[in-house]
Amino acid sequence: MTENPYLYTLLTVAATVAFIVVASFGLGFLARGVARLAGFSRLRQSSTFAGYFFAAPWIVGFVIFVVVPMAASLYWSFTNYRIPEAPIWVGFRNYTRLLLEDREFRGSMVNTLFLTVIGLPLQISAALLLAVLLNQKQRGERVFRLAFYLPVILGFNAAVLLCWRLMLNAGTGIVNQIIRALSRFPPLGYLNRAVIYVVEIVNAFFLGINNGNFTLFNKVIASGFPAANRVPMWIQTPLWSKMAVILLMVWGCGTMMLIFLAGLNNVPRELQEAAEVDGAGPWKRFWRISFPLITPYIFYNLIVGMIAAIQIFEPIYVLYRDNATLAPSAYSLVYYLWRATFRFNEIGYGSAISWVVLVLILLITLIQFRLQNRWVQYELY
Amino acid sequence: MSRMVGQIAVKAVLYVLMTAASIVMAFPLFWMISTSLKSLQEANAPKIIWIPTQLLLDAYRQVLADPRFLRSYLNSTFYAALALAGTLLSIAAVAYAFSRIRWPGRNLVFFLMLSTMMIPAQALIVPQYVFFHRLGWIGSFNPLIVPGYFAGGAAMIFLLRQAMAQIPIEMDESAFVDGASHLQIWWYLVLPSVKAPLATVATFLFVGFWNNLLGPLIYTQSSDLYTLPVFVAQLYNINNPTQPWPTIMAAAVLTTVPLVIVFFFAQRFILESVVITGLKG
Repeated sequence: MTENPYLYTLLTVAATVAFIVVASFGLGFLARGVARLAGFSRLRQSSTFAGYFFAAPWIVGFVIFVVVPMAASLYWSFTNYRIPEAPIWVGFRNYTRLLLEDREFRGSMVNTLFLTVIGLPLQISAALLLAVLLNQKQRGERVFRLAFYLPVILGFNAAVLLCWRLMLNAGTGIVNQIIRALSRFPPLGYLNRAVIYVVEIVNAFFLGINNGNFTLFNKVIASGFPAANRVPMWIQTPLWSKMAVILLMVWGCGTMMLIFLAGLNNVPRELQEAAEVDGAGPWKRFWRISFPLITPYIFYNLIVGMIAAIQIFEPIYVLYRDNATLAPSAYSLVYYLWRATFRFNEIGYGSAISWVVLVLILLITLIQFRLQNRWVQYELY
Repeated sequence: MSRMVGQIAVKAVLYVLMTAASIVMAFPLFWMISTSLKSLQEANAPKIIWIPTQLLLDAYRQVLADPRFLRSYLNSTFYAALALAGTLLSIAAVAYAFSRIRWPGRNLVFFLMLSTMMIPAQALIVPQYVFFHRLGWIGSFNPLIVPGYFAGGAAMIFLLRQAMAQIPIEMDESAFVDGASHLQIWWYLVLPSVKAPLATVATFLFVGFWNNLLGPLIYTQSSDLYTLPVFVAQLYNINNPTQPWPTIMAAAVLTTVPLVIVFFFAQRFILESVVITGLKG
């Protein structure tokens, strides 16, 4: 290994490129040889060579970085592999420990469920609302679309997340200062308190499932409707730790919004116009015509959103990394995977978590595809 | 007449709503810049200070004088540039194979590629870590860069393939008659006609590399190799009695600048391609 890390990487990259070129030619020649044996025409032989030659980087990478690692991790998930030591077969111990004994893992499952049940509907509604606004095709739509999409580009950069950390400071953070200022007007004040009440009850309930006891839940219920000077305690208590993540999800709804925009664009104008002639108002037109026709897009966003919720990592790392009391209340599955594996290099256990996450994602997708027939409208009526 | 008034009112409400949403969306960016120009007292003040009374550049001076920050900036640039070059090129090659060449097994390989989109990258972190550990690559940039050279990113291959498939195949055929090879057609004919999708893919890849936190966290190990997200995340430390917010935000602004620049140059490509293919970056 050379001293200079940049030079070292440049050399490795050069070797990688050479390897890929050799592998491409190798795979191409191999494929052409097989094609010749199969008695293909000259032209067919040469296009076989070209096809495998150009696709080789992916094929080789698939074997090296997907197939082999997955097979290895399946094996390791049944061992107690921990990095300098050799793996020893332990049967299903990792899985039983994970699913039956590990409270932090169960916690991260409940947190993910929370984000899916509470956060995802909010995120999808926000995306749909923004898409409907943009779809009115007013002048300046481009600029607004740009502004709505910006958080997707910035959203998961640690720098921007740190800015949210600053803004969400419970005492002097700008978000709470604005909430305080707005709460001076009685209707908004009541709204704020009602939201706080609902959020804390729901969160206390989920934390109750998490801990297996509901003392906190009872305490929240007992303390009743929040006092007039209350503000959200964003990054202060387990009751609010997940809400900050949901806020970030809603803020970054730009990709979902673009997908809804595409869906709304595909709604035939004639249908809208015909309904308008029949005297249907905009509200009715949206729910009776546009909404059923964009259910496939809602479905797509639902699957993608659920899978994304399992994988949330950066916000939790930046907001809660060294806050030992708060962090477990916000762990996502992937954050837990990272923590459990790399704290003590527990490869065996981490492999088991990876496989559980993988199977979970496949299951979600499968169930979603099963259920979609009930409510997704793929055709015009 | 009343109908026109109603239309104007609807329009006004629409604009108010969209403007409000835009302000909310862009607000963190504004607040980041505003805080980076404040004094420490102003940044922690218990009242709202939208724009600091005096625009102070001290925080920027402090950040730019920090060799660790400059080092992580260099690291991020090095990593993003090198990874981008190889990933983009290999993705373009594979997309060409899937769209412009007929070869036995193409549909099977294409189906396999699409199905890898279901595998979350994180499920592969653990075994890949072991693999790189055995290669002796932990504590270097290699694990961050090399996998991309094997056309990493099925969604991006798909996006480019869709774009390439739309070019009439006659273009290739007439070039073949003139004696051109696949490599020449790929480089001189096909790639120039998918410039906009290439720009989109390049943007998504760049943003992904620039924002990547988990990878550098696992693989870089020593602080000499920290990329910007890892370094910036560590500026905030819960154990500090007071957080040096102006300094942190100055570092954050400097980290975000490349993203904003790239976004504003590439936005007209991105917004369209995402709508066409329905894919996420």
